[in-house]
Amino acid sequence: MRLRSALLCMLLLTAAAVTHFDSRFTQTRSLLGFSKPLVSHGVIRFDQAHGFYWEMTDPYHYVFQMKGDEAVQTLPDGSVKYLKAEQTPWLAAVQHIIVDALSGNRSELERYFSLKVTPMSQGEHVDLTPKSGAMREAIVSIEVTESAPGHPQKIAIRETSGDSMDISFTAPAP
Amino acid sequence: MRRPRSAAARWAVWSVSLGLLCAAAAWRLAPHPINTDMLAMLPAEQGTQALTAATDRSRDAFVRQVLVLVSGADDAATRAAATAALKSLDTAGLKTDDSGATMNGVLALYQEHHYSLLDPDEAARLATGGASAYAKDVAVNLASPVGLISSFETDPGGYLAGFLGSLPRPYGDFLPDGRFFSALKGEKRYYLLSLESPDTGFSAQSMQVTRAVQAAHAAATQACPACSFQATGAPLFADRARSEAQAETLWLSAASMLLIMVLIAYVFRSLAPHVLAALQLVASVLAACAAVIVCFGSIQILTLVFGTTLLGIAIDYALLYFAEYWFGDGDPTKVIRAVRPGLYMGLLTGVAAFAFLLLAGFPALLQIAVFSIAGLLEAALVVVLIFPVTLTARPTVKEHPAVRWPQAFIAAACRPSRWRMLLPAAALLLSIPGWCMLSESDDVRDLQQLPPELVQTDAAIRSTLDQVPPPGFFLVEGKDLDEALSREETLFAKLDAKLADATPLGLSRFLPSAQRQAASLAAWGKVFAQPAELRKALAQLGLPAELADHMQAGWQSAGHEPLSAADLFKAAPDLERFIIPESGGVALLSTVMGKSEFDAGALDATAAGVPGALFEAPLTRIAATFHRIRVRTTWLVVVGYLLISGLLVWRYGRREALRMLYTPLLALGITLGMLGWLGDPVNIFVVVALILILGLGRDYTVFLREGGARRRSPALAVTLSALTMLCSFGLLALSQVPALHVFGLATLAGILASYLSAPLSLPPEP
Repeated sequence: MRLRSALLCMLLLTAAAVTHFDSRFTQTRSLLGFSKPLVSHGVIRFDQAHGFYWEMTDPYHYVFQMKGDEAVQTLPDGSVKYLKAEQTPWLAAVQHIIVDALSGNRSELERYFSLKVTPMSQGEHVDLTPKSGAMREAIVSIEVTESAPGHPQKIAIRETSGDSMDISFTAPAP
Repeated sequence: MRRPRSAAARWAVWSVSLGLLCAAAAWRLAPHPINTDMLAMLPAEQGTQALTAATDRSRDAFVRQVLVLVSGADDAATRAAATAALKSLDTAGLKTDDSGATMNGVLALYQEHHYSLLDPDEAARLATGGASAYAKDVAVNLASPVGLISSFETDPGGYLAGFLGSLPRPYGDFLPDGRFFSALKGEKRYYLLSLESPDTGFSAQSMQVTRAVQAAHAAATQACPACSFQATGAPLFADRARSEAQAETLWLSAASMLLIMVLIAYVFRSLAPHVLAALQLVASVLAACAAVIVCFGSIQILTLVFGTTLLGIAIDYALLYFAEYWFGDGDPTKVIRAVRPGLYMGLLTGVAAFAFLLLAGFPALLQIAVFSIAGLLEAALVVVLIFPVTLTARPTVKEHPAVRWPQAFIAAACRPSRWRMLLPAAALLLSIPGWCMLSESDDVRDLQQLPPELVQTDAAIRSTLDQVPPPGFFLVEGKDLDEALSREETLFAKLDAKLADATPLGLSRFLPSAQRQAASLAAWGKVFAQPAELRKALAQLGLPAELADHMQAGWQSAGHEPLSAADLFKAAPDLERFIIPESGGVALLSTVMGKSEFDAGALDATAAGVPGALFEAPLTRIAATFHRIRVRTTWLVVVGYLLISGLLVWRYGRREALRMLYTPLLALGITLGMLGWLGDPVNIFVVVALILILGLGRDYTVFLREGGARRRSPALAVTLSALTMLCSFGLLALSQVPALHVFGLATLAGILASYLSAPLSLPPEP
C-alpha cells in the first residue's frame, strides 16, 4: 500500500501550517524487490488564487492541476484528461484536503494522524503516527522537517510493506 | 324458519349469533390486529412473479429503513454520541447496515480477481495498445494524486483502485467508517447510521422503532449535549400517523357519541333510548370489526376510523323505531310492524350500495364494505329482535317543539309552491361553476397527513446526504444470471449516457458479466504476451525494466479465473438481495440514485430500449391503480343506482320512483359543486362519500314515503337521522387526515342537501 505522493505532500504541508507553497521536489521511492529506487523530479505549487499544481518533469512529464471543483491531468503522451469529482470518488477527498491546506486547517490531517510537533532552531519537526484504519495498515511513520518556519525541507515516509519514500524540496520553482 | 316469539328466545338468538361471529374473529385474529400500513391497502401487484417479488422487496426495504444522523463540531464527541446512539439502537434490536464491513470482506476477493475487473474502456485500450498503453497507465498512476491509497504491488496501473473507487456509494459523500458512514461537511462531522427495523409487523415495528430512536436520541444527547440528532424513515412516519389516527378516533367518537346522546336525551327524555342505542352501537361496531377480522385477519386503521362514522348509520334504524314508539300513533306492540317496511327498504338499499364496493377490487374499500354491511345488519337485527321485547310499556313523554317542527318543516315543504322548483334550480345553478372547478387526485401521498416536523427532518437529512430517494426500480430479466448481468450493464451504460447525474445501483456494479470479465482477462493476456515490449515501453518512460519482470511475475502467479457469483455472495451475502429468482430465469433488481429527482418517463424509456428490462415507479403505479379503481367504483355506483331504481319503480311505480330518485341526485350535484368551489379534489374517498349520500338520500325518501309524509314519527326519524349523521360523518371534516377530511366535508354537504331536499321527493299536497 502506498499513499499518493502529491496528495501526501498536501497533507503534510498542512501539518506545517503552510498556506502557500512553491518549490521543486525530488521524490525517491524505494520499492521492496527493486534493486534501484524510482527517482522523479518536478514542481509543486499551491496558493489560494491558483489552487493546486503538481508537475512531474522527469523521468516523464505529467501534470495534475486542481482549482475548485475542476481537475485536469496532462498525461505523458501530451493528452489531456478532465476529471469530475462525482465520477472519481477520491477526488472529493483530495478537494477537501486542498481546501483545508489553503486555509491552514490541520483538522483533516489530525483525523488520520496523531501529531507531535517539536520546535527546532529553524522551523519545526513534525512526527505523524497513523491513528487507525487503512492509513495505519499502510504507513509506519512520517516525518516532516522544516528548514525555516513555513518552509518544509524534507518528508520521509516508511510504509508497512517495507517500501519507503523521501521527498525533498530544494528551491522555488522558476 | 319460525320466528322466535319469546323475549328469552330473541335474546338468545341475538347473543349467540354475535357470540359466534366474535368467536370466529378471535380464532382468525392476527398477532397485530390493527394494521397502519397504508400500502397494504392497495391492490395486489398485477404482473409477473418477479415484478411482484421485486415490488415486495422494494416496499419492504422502504418501510423498514431508518436513517439516523448525528453531527457536531467536535469529531471525537460526535463519534462518541453516534456510538452511544448505535449501542442503544443495537439493544432495541435494530440491525445496522454493515456495508462497510461487507466491503472489507469483499476487498480480498476483488484483489484476487483484479485481472477480471477492467472496465470496458480500459480493456479495449489495453487490448488495442498492449504493453505501451499499460506502461503509460502505470506512469500516470505513479504520478497522479487521484486516489488516496492503492496497492502498487498488485495494481501498478491503478485499475483495481479505479474499480473499487467506482463501486456504488449508497450515501453520496458519506464513506464507510466502521459501523457508520461518515463525512466532514464544512465545520461539522457527520455520522450516519443506516438501520433496518425488525420484521415484527408494520404496527409493532413502527412503535418499536419510535421508542428505539427516542432512546438513541437520549443516549446521544447524554454523550454529547452539543451534538445534533436527526432521524427519518417510514416507521417513524407510520407511528406518528397511527398515534394521531388513534387520538383522532378517540375524540371524534367521543364527540359524536356525546352529541348524539344529548340529542336523544332532549327529544325522548328517557334513559331507555340511551341504553338501547348504546347496545345497538356496541353490537354493530363489534360485529363489524369481527366480520372484518374473520375476512381479513386484521383491520386497517382507516377502516376503524371510518367505522366510527358507522355510529351514525347504526343509530339510524334505532331512531326510526324510537320516533314511532314515543311519538307514533299506534300501540307499542305494533311499532315494529309500522317501521318494518321503511327499515327493510333502507337496509336493503344501504347494503346494496355497500355491496357494490365489494366489486371495486380495492382492499381498503373491501374492508369498509364488509365493516359497513356487517354493522348495518347487526344494527337492524338488534332493532328487530331486541327493541320489541324491551320497549313494551306505553311511553308518557308529551309532545314538545323539537318533536313538532320536523313534521311542520316536511309539511311546509310539501305544500305546492314555486319555491319547490326555484330553490333546487338556484342550488344547481350555483353548483355549475363548482363543477367546472372540480379537480381529481389519485396520488396516495395526498391522502395522508405527513407531520411537518418529520417532513422537515427528512428533507434536512436528504439534503445533508445530497440525495433524493429513487423514484422506482429497474427489473432486468434474463435466462440466467449472466444474461441478466449483461443486460443490466447495457442498461447502466445507457443511463450513464442519458442522465449525467444518475448513479445506477445494481449487482453488475459489483459483479461484471462473464463477457466483460473475459474481455478483461483477454486484454491482460495480450499485454503480457510480449514481455520484451513491456520492458521497452517502461524504459521509454524512464521506468526500470525490472518493473516489467515484477508485473509479469504477478500475472503468471495469479489465477485467471473470473470472479464467480457464488464467491461474491459468500463474501458479501447482502448482495444476493439484488437477485429475484423466477421460474425459467433470473431477474435483477436495481435502481438509480441521484442528487435531484429523475423523470420517471426518461427512466422508463431507457429501460424500454434494453431487452428484458423494465422500470417500475410504485407511486405512479399506485396512482394509476387508484384512478382505475375510482373510475370502476363510479361505474359500479351508477349500475347500483340503476338497480336500486328498478327496486323503487317496482315498489312505487315509475312516476313516484323518478321523483324519489331526483332528490339524491340533486344532493350529489350540490356536493360536487361545493367541493369544486372549495378546491377539494375528487378522490376515491369522495366517491365513497357520494355513495353514502345517494344511499342516505334514498333512505330519507323511503322513510317518508313508507311512514307517511304528514305523520309525526317519520319526519322526526328522518330529522334525527340527518342530525346524527351530521354529528358523526360531518365531524370527519375536522380530521387532520386529508382523506378523512374531504370525506367528511362531502358527507356534511351531502347529508344537509339530502335532508333539505327530501320533501321534494313527495308529491305536493295542499
